[in-house]
Amino acid sequence: MALPAQSPTVSVVPDIEYGPPPELRFRRRLRLRRTAAELWAARELVRALAERDLRARYKQAVLGFAWAVMTPLLLMVVFTLVFNKAVKIDTSPTPYALFTYVGLITWQFFSNTMNQGALSLSANLSLLNKVYCPREVFPLATMLVAAVDMLIALGVMGVLFAVFWFPPAGTFYLALPLLLIQIAFTYGVALVLSVSVVYLRDIRHLLPIITQMGVFATPVAYPLDKIPHRLQEVYVGFNPLAAVIEGYRKAVLYGEYPDMRLSLIAAGGALVVLVGGYVFFKKLETGIADVA
Amino acid sequence: MSPDGTIRTEHLWKRFRADRQRMLLRDRVEQMGRRLRGGGPEDWSWALRDIDLHIEPGDAVGLIGSNGSGKSTLLKLLTRVMYPYAGTVDVRGRIGALIEIRAGIHPDLTGRENIYLFGALLGLKRREVAARFDAIVEFAQLNTAIDRQVKFYSSGMQMRLGFAVAAYLEPEVLLVDEVLAVGDAVFQQKCLDRMREVLEQGTTLVFVSHDLAAVESVCSRGIWLEQGTVRVDAGIREALGAYRESIEAKTEASARVGEPVQLLKCEVRGTERDSPATGEGLVVDLVLGGDHRNPAMLHLGVSEGTASPVFSLRHEITTKDGEARVRCVIPRLPLPRGRYTLWVGAYGMWHIEGQSLMAWHPAGQFEVYGPELDPPPRAVVLAAPVYVEHEWS
Repeated sequence: MALPAQSPTVSVVPDIEYGPPPELRFRRRLRLRRTAAELWAARELVRALAERDLRARYKQAVLGFAWAVMTPLLLMVVFTLVFNKAVKIDTSPTPYALFTYVGLITWQFFSNTMNQGALSLSANLSLLNKVYCPREVFPLATMLVAAVDMLIALGVMGVLFAVFWFPPAGTFYLALPLLLIQIAFTYGVALVLSVSVVYLRDIRHLLPIITQMGVFATPVAYPLDKIPHRLQEVYVGFNPLAAVIEGYRKAVLYGEYPDMRLSLIAAGGALVVLVGGYVFFKKLETGIADVA
Repeated sequence: MSPDGTIRTEHLWKRFRADRQRMLLRDRVEQMGRRLRGGGPEDWSWALRDIDLHIEPGDAVGLIGSNGSGKSTLLKLLTRVMYPYAGTVDVRGRIGALIEIRAGIHPDLTGRENIYLFGALLGLKRREVAARFDAIVEFAQLNTAIDRQVKFYSSGMQMRLGFAVAAYLEPEVLLVDEVLAVGDAVFQQKCLDRMREVLEQGTTLVFVSHDLAAVESVCSRGIWLEQGTVRVDAGIREALGAYRESIEAKTEASARVGEPVQLLKCEVRGTERDSPATGEGLVVDLVLGGDHRNPAMLHLGVSEGTASPVFSLRHEITTKDGEARVRCVIPRLPLPRGRYTLWVGAYGMWHIEGQSLMAWHPAGQFEVYGPELDPPPRAVVLAAPVYVEHEWS
């Protein structure tokens, strides 16, 4: 019998000093090419997860996808009544409803991704404990769901243009580069929150507060001009969505070029959030199965 | 560069927190405060200690050990779900874990939709799932229910659904963790059959189970983990033998007192020589005592390890004078070479029919000399350890 000489009682060593030599310690190394390849290989999984959420929602709710239309529309009505009729924010020549709707679509995309994405890992913990896949697909899938909602809301916007008899400006294509900023920032925030919630469950109680405050801290209901000019650069650095929304309005509603300087600052801010968030996510990802 | 299907771990360490820790901000703040004050050290316990493993493609390895010995942790490290504290894990090729993934089932989706979702989770492409779809449905015995919402499934159906997708991965490395605990007998058999099928294709298998018979039936190599270290790494029979012996040592330690019938002496020998041998006679001498004065039924059994007995015999005895001497002779012992356990128990008769007078317990062990059993073909259930006289022509 090949029993080793070592006796089993020796191994009960509660001493923390007893352990592997430090040079053997596992270190998380991030290789961009490898993680990118892995994420690309998991594209079908992202799709399947998003499809699961969409299908499930479609089956559960009587109104199904109508909610994707209703939410920004109802908010638009409320905002129009409050900010246009009561507070009297002037957005002429653009109808205020359209003005705020652009902001609301962007904000809805962000807040949906943030709220769902933050819980995307913790809701699937038992799965994460059994199956390996790049973990960032979970927040990514929730962003994909939010993107579908955004597309539906964009369709409604087409109807709104007709209703208000206000054609979109010819410069609307300038909105596309801004969309990248929006996606980068939103995904970065979702990454940070999703992995944080796994380690600190109470962060999810913060989410409604962030959502509520954020909608007013972002120029959804008012133009960026309301912010003092000298503060605008700092402001969009921390909240790139402000520059994004302002840029969308200029490109789609006013037929102007988005402010280049503010857009670049916003892009920089979004990139920092995305890269920082990704590294943060990847570092903390290694411990998910330990705390699950 | 190692070929696909190779598993290699070097100096693998893993630890877990020993103190109860909740994932709340309040606890973290407390913990930070303690650390700032330079308070007591954190409490960690090692789950794996310096594990070095090398598994070649096509090996079938059984991981055995008591609860908490680190088997599941090791498996999680191999699947890359968990990350090591120190050391390296290197698994080549596609890893498939035969696990029950009920966790991912969405109750509002149909079985069909869930199968595609699982496939994606396990790394299968959509068309790969489509190609195996019928086999998966067949395996899960779902038939017409496949287009029904999963919330209307029985729990067994849900379990089989999750499992079936995993079973139809075609990985280079298959990891199986205690799946046979769930599901009915038919399904368990199906799972074992599927594992053998996969093995035939040259897949590497790592199988964790407490069902030692199942492990023995599919694995060729056994690794016994104890308290996070490899205790024995050898052929499956050898590893299981060592493991069973340690279990027996623990079971025997619990002495039985106060029973109406007591086993005073127990001796096993061969008729022709001291040690029993295959095909020769075996003598069991028992001396029983105790306060019981009426006839009792004495049961005698022989098992390999702690499994169910290979055979059992019974005999009526009476401890009239406070002692009863019984001898049992088996003229031709049908056991192959190996180590066996003798089990004894005594039960009441007549008005106390079936009442336990001396609980069924292992009374001792003996070695049998003789020929080894012919090995069965690879990946076939190991036959019961019975030596059958035979002739080829």
